[in-house]
Amino acid sequence: MNTVVVGLLLALLALLGAPLFAIIGAIAMLSFAAEGIESSAVIVELYRIGSNPTLVAIPLFTFAGYVLAESKTPQRLVNLARAFFGSFTGGLAVVALATCALFTAFTGASGVTIVALGGLLLPILLKEQYPEKFSLGLITTSGSLGLLFPPSLPLILYSVTSKLSIDQLFAAGFIPGLFLVVILSAYGIRQGKKAHVPKTPFAWTNVRNSVKAAAWEIPLPFIVIGGIYSGTFTATEAAAVTAFYVLIVEVFIYKDLNLFRDIPRVMRESMMLVGAILMIIGTAMGLTNYLVDNEVPMKLFELTKQFITSPIMFLIVLNLFLIIVGMMMDIFSAIIVVVPLIMPIALAYGVHPIHLGIIFLTNLEIGYLTPPVGLNLFISSIRFQKPVFSIVRAVLPYIGILLIALIIITYVPALSLWLVEALGVK
Amino acid sequence: MTVLRSLDRFLVRIETAFLVVFLSVMILLAFLQVMLRNVLGIGFLWADPLVRHLVIWVGFFGAAVATHEERHISIDALTRFFRPRWKALAHIGTSLFAVVVCSHLAHASYVFLLDEKSLGSDFMLNVPTWVALIVIPAGYVLIAFHFLVKLIEHLLFVVGKQESASR
Repeated sequence: MNTVVVGLLLALLALLGAPLFAIIGAIAMLSFAAEGIESSAVIVELYRIGSNPTLVAIPLFTFAGYVLAESKTPQRLVNLARAFFGSFTGGLAVVALATCALFTAFTGASGVTIVALGGLLLPILLKEQYPEKFSLGLITTSGSLGLLFPPSLPLILYSVTSKLSIDQLFAAGFIPGLFLVVILSAYGIRQGKKAHVPKTPFAWTNVRNSVKAAAWEIPLPFIVIGGIYSGTFTATEAAAVTAFYVLIVEVFIYKDLNLFRDIPRVMRESMMLVGAILMIIGTAMGLTNYLVDNEVPMKLFELTKQFITSPIMFLIVLNLFLIIVGMMMDIFSAIIVVVPLIMPIALAYGVHPIHLGIIFLTNLEIGYLTPPVGLNLFISSIRFQKPVFSIVRAVLPYIGILLIALIIITYVPALSLWLVEALGVK
Repeated sequence: MTVLRSLDRFLVRIETAFLVVFLSVMILLAFLQVMLRNVLGIGFLWADPLVRHLVIWVGFFGAAVATHEERHISIDALTRFFRPRWKALAHIGTSLFAVVVCSHLAHASYVFLLDEKSLGSDFMLNVPTWVALIVIPAGYVLIAFHFLVKLIEHLLFVVGKQESASR
């Protein structure tokens, strides 16, 4: 009885906007107290996860992403992509998708992409006579596209909470991530043709100028992706190199940002996100360890076994469940809270844990676009000063496409696992 | 209230300064370590544990600043549509709750710190582990304080003593 009242009270507080780390922390401490365990057990878990070596990658990559977002990198990136892909029909849609995906991988799908790149791309799309509804939907969708590519923050968080190899996850995300970009590009090209958008002629001077302008930034994806896939760097080492490299390039070579005027501000901005995530990881790890110790996932499995008899059925239910999770929770809390509970169940049904991670993140990527809490909807609404409702209408076709892609990613495990095995990543 | 508010701002400035210094050290040290390891095949034994603990320090100071800036992750789908007065009332409830939880977490981490101190382990060179852990109770106290200031600001708004509490 008491538990029900407390549970309802906490749910109400959560809905009224209480910080999620406090809600989770309260549940963790109350659970421990009920078992007569000292509440410092919560902090033991916080410290254990907090000193996890992979966690170092989070502040370093987040800082690097924010530096890129605050400098003129978005402009140079768009120019570069336009010079290459802008000349064929629908090419500009591909430019938007590719640049946003690349950018989101570095900024961690925290909404920065829509603010930094969307503001640049939307006016260009409209000027080149792409329909407004199509363009708004495209930019809003692109804001979280690319979170399957290294070094995205959600992938790192998944590795930290599931204790899986971050290098394997980075390899696993690549083909599914590319698949999403390709399938959305195909739609973009078709819509571009339908709208009879004018072509801009291809010019070598544009290519040469834009490559020259972005010469210092072009190596970045190769350092990260190439370094990790070839085994030269671990993810954490790649993060260290990226953070340092980006700082030097933007401050001393491009001089887009001032070391004393801008960098402290960017550090503060980016570390607020890191702090918010650390708070949730800290309290959630205590709670999930408690739940795992009490064999809650196994009890859930015993329960579901009666209704869900095959792995295929499990995957269907998993997808539906995760879409609901994605509707209710932001991606960071969802990973931290749900992964430790779902993983033992998925393993019992014979789902590969790395494949589960990719399914998980693809689902949550769709969650960015679904009301009521889809982050991208609100960021687009604020950034482009459109009512949330019209943004929702604009993204509907994209949600449909992403759902089809999700089904393919879910039922073809090879998409996620092939590269891991082919590269022999440990 | 003016005293509280200036203390609040002062603390945020200190927290930001710490955050900037620690993050800078982290970036430089992590990079130096990669270079030493891959180019010369050497490295400082103390650097890796130091960088790992700096994550906790930077994270807690970031979280303290995030409290002041109202950037903690929360579900705001509902309150988004509230009128200002109702929003302030909701804020009072949730801030009070956060103050209570953070105080308990501060206490729990203080107990944890004392436990670690009695174990007497070192995390790098001759620096005892408990020194690196000070930031956990201290961080929760700072976060609780920022939430308390928010709570008072929203209370003043509801009783009509102040124009607007929320950004």
